Amino acid sequence: MKKILSLGLVRGLLWQIAGTAAGALLVTGIRALMGLNPWGSFLFTEPAWVVGALTGVIAFVWGVGALTDWFKWALGEETPEHREDPPGWEKYFGVSLDHKVIGIQYTVTAILLLLVGGLFALIFRLELAASGMQFISLQLYNTLMSLHGMVMIVGILLGVAGVMNYLVPMLIGAHDMAFPRLNAFSYWIAPPAAIVLLSSLALGGFDTGWTGYPPLSTRSPVGIQMFFIGVWVAGWSSILGGLNLIATVMRLRAKGMTAFRMPILVWASVATSLISLTATQLIGLSFQLVMFQRLLGMGFFDPAKGGNPILFQHLFWFYSHPAVYVFILPGLGVVSELLPVFVRKPLFGYRWVAMSSLGIALVGFLVWAHHMFTSGMNEYLRVPFMYSTLLVAVPTGVKFFSWVATLWKGKIETPTPMLFVLGAIVVFLMGGLSGPPNGVVTTDLHLHDTYFVVGHFHDTMFGGYIFPFFAAIYYWFPKATGRRMSEKLGKLHFWLLFPSFLVMTFLMMRVGLLGMRRRIADYDPALGLDFWHLLITISAFLIAASVLVFLYNFFRSIKHGEPAPGNIWRSRSPEWQVPSPMPVHNYEEAFEVVGEPYDYGLPGSTYIRFNGKSH
Amino acid sequence: MAHTDKQTAFRLGVLIFVYLAILTALEFYVAVAVPSVVVLSLIALAKAGLVVYYYMHIYRLYQETETDPNSYEYKAGTLRLGLWLFLLSDAFVFGGLAVARFNLWGMTRPPFNQVLGLIITSVLLVSSFFMNRAETAMAHGDRRNFVISLVITLLLGIGFLVGVIGIEWPSAIREGITPSANTFGAVFFMMTGMHGFHVLTGVIFLLIVLRNGLRGLYSAERHRAVEAAAVYWHFVDVVWIFFYPALYLIGTVV
Repeated sequence: MKKILSLGLVRGLLWQIAGTAAGALLVTGIRALMGLNPWGSFLFTEPAWVVGALTGVIAFVWGVGALTDWFKWALGEETPEHREDPPGWEKYFGVSLDHKVIGIQYTVTAILLLLVGGLFALIFRLELAASGMQFISLQLYNTLMSLHGMVMIVGILLGVAGVMNYLVPMLIGAHDMAFPRLNAFSYWIAPPAAIVLLSSLALGGFDTGWTGYPPLSTRSPVGIQMFFIGVWVAGWSSILGGLNLIATVMRLRAKGMTAFRMPILVWASVATSLISLTATQLIGLSFQLVMFQRLLGMGFFDPAKGGNPILFQHLFWFYSHPAVYVFILPGLGVVSELLPVFVRKPLFGYRWVAMSSLGIALVGFLVWAHHMFTSGMNEYLRVPFMYSTLLVAVPTGVKFFSWVATLWKGKIETPTPMLFVLGAIVVFLMGGLSGPPNGVVTTDLHLHDTYFVVGHFHDTMFGGYIFPFFAAIYYWFPKATGRRMSEKLGKLHFWLLFPSFLVMTFLMMRVGLLGMRRRIADYDPALGLDFWHLLITISAFLIAASVLVFLYNFFRSIKHGEPAPGNIWRSRSPEWQVPSPMPVHNYEEAFEVVGEPYDYGLPGSTYIRFNGKSH
Repeated sequence: MAHTDKQTAFRLGVLIFVYLAILTALEFYVAVAVPSVVVLSLIALAKAGLVVYYYMHIYRLYQETETDPNSYEYKAGTLRLGLWLFLLSDAFVFGGLAVARFNLWGMTRPPFNQVLGLIITSVLLVSSFFMNRAETAMAHGDRRNFVISLVITLLLGIGFLVGVIGIEWPSAIREGITPSANTFGAVFFMMTGMHGFHVLTGVIFLLIVLRNGLRGLYSAERHRAVEAAAVYWHFVDVVWIFFYPALYLIGTVV
């Protein structure tokens, strides 16, 4: 019992419960003193739940111990720069300052959230397998559908943070991130945020979809406030993580690593972090404004008080469109990173690929209103946003051109990570090709809010992030554990996932074109879509089965995988030149960059040289 | 030598403050006499530029000579970069609020007392001057002036909060501009509330720096916490440089 209580996570959870209760009771007491009705339909009133959720998050972070060093600094005390972690598994359940531990914490939390989000999808996909309402209520359908979206998004954001946190310091030769305590803080506000987000299920749910548009969101049950707060706090995790990453890359690169000798994944991570650092504030702000509209009656989006609901959509999409680039840029970076390793050829057009990530990020700031062609915004905004949207295809095309040219006449090997890389390219191509019909005003007016968009979106997310995420896990698993995952199960995972995923999204696009609306719980049997929906549901369950194979492989390989201490992929990258698992402070000897990162197969070329000097 | 250095730095601070004061007066005159959004925006940009360059020392970001990553100097540079990135991020919140203001109010503004607005703006501007003086003093090892100027900054900061929350908010409510009445109230309370929250965190930051300064934890060579507090405090001032015309000067009263 004492051992369990010594885990930071357990302490944090207990503190969160206490903090929520304290905050909610405080507001309840104040309301009682003011003569207002102190109790609401879910025990507490809405203001009490909002304050309670916030105090709960703060209490969690305090209880887990992520603020201790900062308080000491404010009091003028010194703390040791590094802190030794306990040797066993316990370090993953408490505050660690090691970027590798935090990276793994992020990754495992991400996988858990993706599983929860996937489970929600399985439930409502089962409902959609046939027309008519079978086993869940309309309100529960709406809540699950909305939560599926946001839980997946938060899961992917944490997965992005996991990949970047674990890899970027290693790739640039740093021994940690620039701000290790901020890094720990960024991670540790994510679990309470996820708990608050999921608690909306117990507080009446919400029926707005993941976008939370007013005026519907001003009329939803209390659950929507938990959704707002959960996203807001998770957004801070993303903002501070991005800040830390940019500072790390700008300040802690190895000697000789000039901008155009950085690995592509580092370029992609910087581009992603620029978006998450800045734009995330606006989804936070837009949700905050609705929150205040609900709590205090402030009329930002209420036309009766002179407000403007379209304003919400502008603020919301200013983040939420670039957000998809936050998800895909690191994924595409992983593709560019791994492709040359398994083709044994230099990456084609390195400089162009490096710049294309920044290009996508910057153009991504100018496209948000293509989500609003049917919203009733000023019509003269449509055409400029259509063209800026189509412009995104240029830097994305640069990436595809580079991949194809890199594959051309290469000695292609296909171990599991490479299968997922190739799968990512194919699936992302499908997502990319189904994009322009949504971006062009004339076709979008018909496709808007249909299942076609759902199919397009899932292709970009899986191709842009989930497939590369799996590739990265299979590829770098030995670096973290010293063992490799089973190739046989990995291939089974891929060959179950890839075809069923393509079938699912193609059919989503098909039913969309045939008139299926997105987000609704039921459809008219006369549309003749029952058969296709059944097939989509079956594909979804096959995808779930493939993920179970992955999970078994993942957890089995930690202890029982084939030992892989060396450079099993024959990579040129610095992290593979030292034994696995990675030592605590990364590199015993500092290295110097003396050549190009991706010159595979060129005789006599070197990328890095260890210069014997420890740092 | 160090003494004349310090005097030059103090004089530069005074000079910049005089420029800021002249621009603020000009801004007020323009708003009353020839209300032009373009001129008001240019004046606000000029004021923000002066503060960002001379008080926040943005050039320190790229004027760095230290290369040993384990030195105090280099780590202070990393922290400085981190703080500026944070301010960039924070600027998007305030930018979003400004967008909301112009979307919902357009070229109108609520009937607030413009003189009261000018007074609380001046309080914040003067506090920026003393903050700069405190930082300059510490950079030259002058602890006495550091403490005096920092205490004045703190008092002015608290005075600003009292002015906004204790005087301006009740007077707005008396005029019927409550948070829930219309978008005038909603946007006004959100903008001043969000800005006031930042002033409050700045006051807490300054209190911590004052306490540690009184205990002698800072020196001419090692005072990165003082610099960070100063940059943050000036940032909050820069935000108000834009919020003040947006709330009190631009647009016609309806």
